[in-house]
Amino acid sequence: MRQDWSLAFTWARREMRGGLAGFWVFLACLALGVGAIAGVNAVSQAVQEALLRDARALAGGDVIVRASYQPASDEQLAFFRTESVAVSQGLEMRVMAGGKDATQRRLAELKAVDAVYPIAGAFTLENGEPLADAIAQRDGQWGAVAEQDLLDLLGLRLGDPISVGAQTYVLRGVITREPDRATGLASFGPRLLVALPSVEGTGLILPGSLVRYLYRIALPPSKDAVAWAAMLAERFPTAGFTITPASRAAPGLAETVGRLTLFLTLVGLTALLIGGIGIANSVQSYMAGKTGTIAMLKCVGAPSRVIVLTFGLQTAALAALGIGAGLVLGTIAPFVLSAVLESLLPVTLEPGVYPGALGLGAVFGVLTTAAFALWPLLKSRRVTPARLFSDLVAPTGGRPTLAEIAAIASLLALLAAVAVLTAEQRGFALWFVGGIAVAFVLFFAAAHALSAIARRLVQSRLAQWRASLRLALANLCRPGAPTVSVVLSLGFGVTVLVAVAAIEANLGRTLRDELPAKAPTFFFIDIQPGQLDGFRETVASIAGEHDLTARPMLRARIVKINGRPAREEDVPENVRWALRSERGLTFQADPPSEGPIVAGRWWPSDYQGPATISFHAGLAKGFGVGVGDTLTFNILGREVTGAIANLRAIDFRSIRMQFTTIFAPGTLERAPHTILATTRTPPEHASELVRAVSAKFPNVSAVRVKEALDVFDKLIHQISNAIRVIAAVGLAAGVLVLASAVAAGQQARRRDAVILKVLGATRPNVLATYLWEFGVLGVGTVGIAAGIGAAAAYVVVTEVMGMQWSMPWLAILLTVPLAMAITLVAGFASVWQALGQKPGPILRNP
Amino acid sequence: MLAVSDTAIALDDIRLTLGSAAGPVNILRGIDVRIDAGETVGIVGPSGSGKTTMLMVIAGLERPTSGRVFVAGQDLTDLSEDALARFRRDHVGIVFQSFHLIPTMTALENVAVPLELAGRKDAFARAEAALAAVGLGHRLTHYPGQLSGGEQQRTAIARAFAPQPKVLLADEPTGNLDGETGQQVIDLLFAESARAGTTLALITHDPVLANRCSRQVRVGDGRILHDTRAKGAAA
Repeated sequence: MRQDWSLAFTWARREMRGGLAGFWVFLACLALGVGAIAGVNAVSQAVQEALLRDARALAGGDVIVRASYQPASDEQLAFFRTESVAVSQGLEMRVMAGGKDATQRRLAELKAVDAVYPIAGAFTLENGEPLADAIAQRDGQWGAVAEQDLLDLLGLRLGDPISVGAQTYVLRGVITREPDRATGLASFGPRLLVALPSVEGTGLILPGSLVRYLYRIALPPSKDAVAWAAMLAERFPTAGFTITPASRAAPGLAETVGRLTLFLTLVGLTALLIGGIGIANSVQSYMAGKTGTIAMLKCVGAPSRVIVLTFGLQTAALAALGIGAGLVLGTIAPFVLSAVLESLLPVTLEPGVYPGALGLGAVFGVLTTAAFALWPLLKSRRVTPARLFSDLVAPTGGRPTLAEIAAIASLLALLAAVAVLTAEQRGFALWFVGGIAVAFVLFFAAAHALSAIARRLVQSRLAQWRASLRLALANLCRPGAPTVSVVLSLGFGVTVLVAVAAIEANLGRTLRDELPAKAPTFFFIDIQPGQLDGFRETVASIAGEHDLTARPMLRARIVKINGRPAREEDVPENVRWALRSERGLTFQADPPSEGPIVAGRWWPSDYQGPATISFHAGLAKGFGVGVGDTLTFNILGREVTGAIANLRAIDFRSIRMQFTTIFAPGTLERAPHTILATTRTPPEHASELVRAVSAKFPNVSAVRVKEALDVFDKLIHQISNAIRVIAAVGLAAGVLVLASAVAAGQQARRRDAVILKVLGATRPNVLATYLWEFGVLGVGTVGIAAGIGAAAAYVVVTEVMGMQWSMPWLAILLTVPLAMAITLVAGFASVWQALGQKPGPILRNP
Repeated sequence: MLAVSDTAIALDDIRLTLGSAAGPVNILRGIDVRIDAGETVGIVGPSGSGKTTMLMVIAGLERPTSGRVFVAGQDLTDLSEDALARFRRDHVGIVFQSFHLIPTMTALENVAVPLELAGRKDAFARAEAALAAVGLGHRLTHYPGQLSGGEQQRTAIARAFAPQPKVLLADEPTGNLDGETGQQVIDLLFAESARAGTTLALITHDPVLANRCSRQVRVGDGRILHDTRAKGAAA
């Protein structure tokens, strides 16, 4: 046994003298796949570390306390102060900011801070001025700083006046870094930042106005933020605070990064698997070239085991080289990409070397090589010494035995197991891995179907039309034809590209066209109840049909479910958002036009009685409640318990005004509230309406739905691009495999071309044959891939996203020529050399 | 004018010089030969004498450095590569020592290739007939790897004769075959060219085979050394 190993080792070393020629596809496939997986994970780790490291700065302190509508009481504030080393007070609200032309107002996210802000992280202005100086009152004038976007929207320059409600500020700086920007309210407009004492002068702090008061608290090092936050919640149970320790300040961001990482890792794995076909092809053609050597070795008495070991060791050495190159790519990826990522993320990256990420890449690389190289290696056992005495034209064929199939299958299963077990969301990983397996089977079947169709067509009348077409079709279904390799390798990359393009096109169409067409043009927020009649008149004074809807609104948090404290961890993940913070609610006598009642009954329109609510059916299911159960809300520090009278099916995707909770009349009318109004204003009158409303009602903010959707659209676009980059890696692996498949047949092609020329084929004949061959192959592959990609996109769009599907022909038509071009270029490259081949050397050889 | 109606092949002062690291090498040094239609010519000579190059010049596979080539009434001198291919397709069949069948095509497909290239609708019917004529009617769907050496060469002969060429060139057609099989192949070759009235030029090292030809041309050092007609053969 030991002798076998040492013999194999010696022979493997001798075989390696030939150098790396013929193995570059093998090496490149491994390096690319391993590099993609290691790189994605290393970059992700760098981002996660930065998020953790900068958690305090991202949050703005160790613990953040938010209170809606009313500030913390003096007693509460005093408690914050005695327990901490610093407290920074502030508030946030949406306002309409005006420039020199006061009639031109734009929605801005106003943030007011005190003199101690920021207590964590660094705030910077473009001109380097300290924030406190920039927003201070000078000569009776308050200062303000804003993001560049606001300056652009309002046509402002530094030194210009900028008005918010009744207060006029002097614009003194442009914000370049706001450490805690990511964790505030969902952003619908650019940031405008002013000093806290100046806000009173705006006159916008009205009863029921949506104002969030923030207390950023710095704790002494001895105190644990999570424990302190829990203590605070117990100390003021009915205060209605949202209390967040820094480590949980940006759960959305960390979650998004985590999900994206998993997805990109799995796409990277797909690229590696495509590369696996290249690995198999390389080993296969190398072993085919060694058939004579192997037969000779067996002839002189070498056992099969030593031969398999010899080439196995050689493959292992090459794999180590390829994986090593991939790990180098994975190591440098975070350093190279940190600049790009920093422009997208609120953190500074300090990239390092991440052994975990590299280890994962290496494990995937080793398993993939083993799974794909095993069969070509084992086939060498079938080479008999008798081959020395017959010609070597027919390749060593045969099917794997059951034991061999079991060995390959268990390696693939191990690969899948590693992919699933190392994933944070195992369910998703399992679906993805299952999807890859199904896609592999589909491509395999489709490739064989393509061969079968070619075989049929060869004998059909169509093939008689042109000799070159018949020869090309015959080439596709011949033994040893690269049809399966090409369909599998290119197919995957094209499928991912088509699927991404199709999903993005559907999302984009929904976001840009369908939603804006159905959704309101504006949401007007913070209308005081006394302003409603005036507001209606103002809207009516503008030309056009506005379809005005107005509803009272308050914000409240669900604090108890059937009398028990409502804790996020007790409900399924998909409904936690409803407990995380306050949601808007309304009250009304008549049932809303949208959202059919699916359980219980609506109250009589003259209802006056105990608190009764209509609730969102989906949330009720998640909370495990139904008609007759109770929910308790904290509304401005007061707890109100309502019995569920009915459940409504709500579709939030319509972006109409819809509330999860509607109270029956008689409970909330006296509570301070505002009016939320929507209009569907003709585009040509939109600006006029905003001007008129903001001139008359400076406290009312107009949110333009299209702009909010644009923000979302941009985000989708960025995510799509990240997926595209990885899909491109997959496609690159596919191109490598294609090149290897073409290169493997290159020698034979040249020989065939010369013989064809001897028999009277002109260069256009030869060229036409190969163009037909690769054209048919390309059209077949692309057709199959586009079909599978579109089907995958259809499932995602209709089942996962629940949107309307329309076939994105344009997106597909743009992706398809790319794939066709790749196939034809590869084909052309192979033809070019064959065309120029001098006949002499090939014909003379005996 | 060399080319006359009953002349199948005419080489006029053919010279071929190739550049090499050690300076120019003269492969052919002025070959003059005329082969009439229907003649069978054995080209003999030692290895490296220029026999194969001469044959390739006749086939339009190698371009001479100087001199003129007329085959089947056509002047090959100024023809483009593609025109030469069409010329071969229509007028010349070639049989090689190592068969040169396309390994990924069946016997039938191999024989059909030149007919398909010529755009003949009956390509496969003719190919089938050609294979039957060489005794391979039962091997139509076999790939070259599944045929014996003799069967492969018979397939190659079927392929060469199927388009009914005016000229058939053979380069040591029995070199890779055992004596008996070689004999069968040669019988076939002569029988087929006699039947179709094809002009046959074949390179051989086998004196018996050379003697079977109506004429023997001995080549040495790029020149024609002897040109002898068998007794009773037409001049």
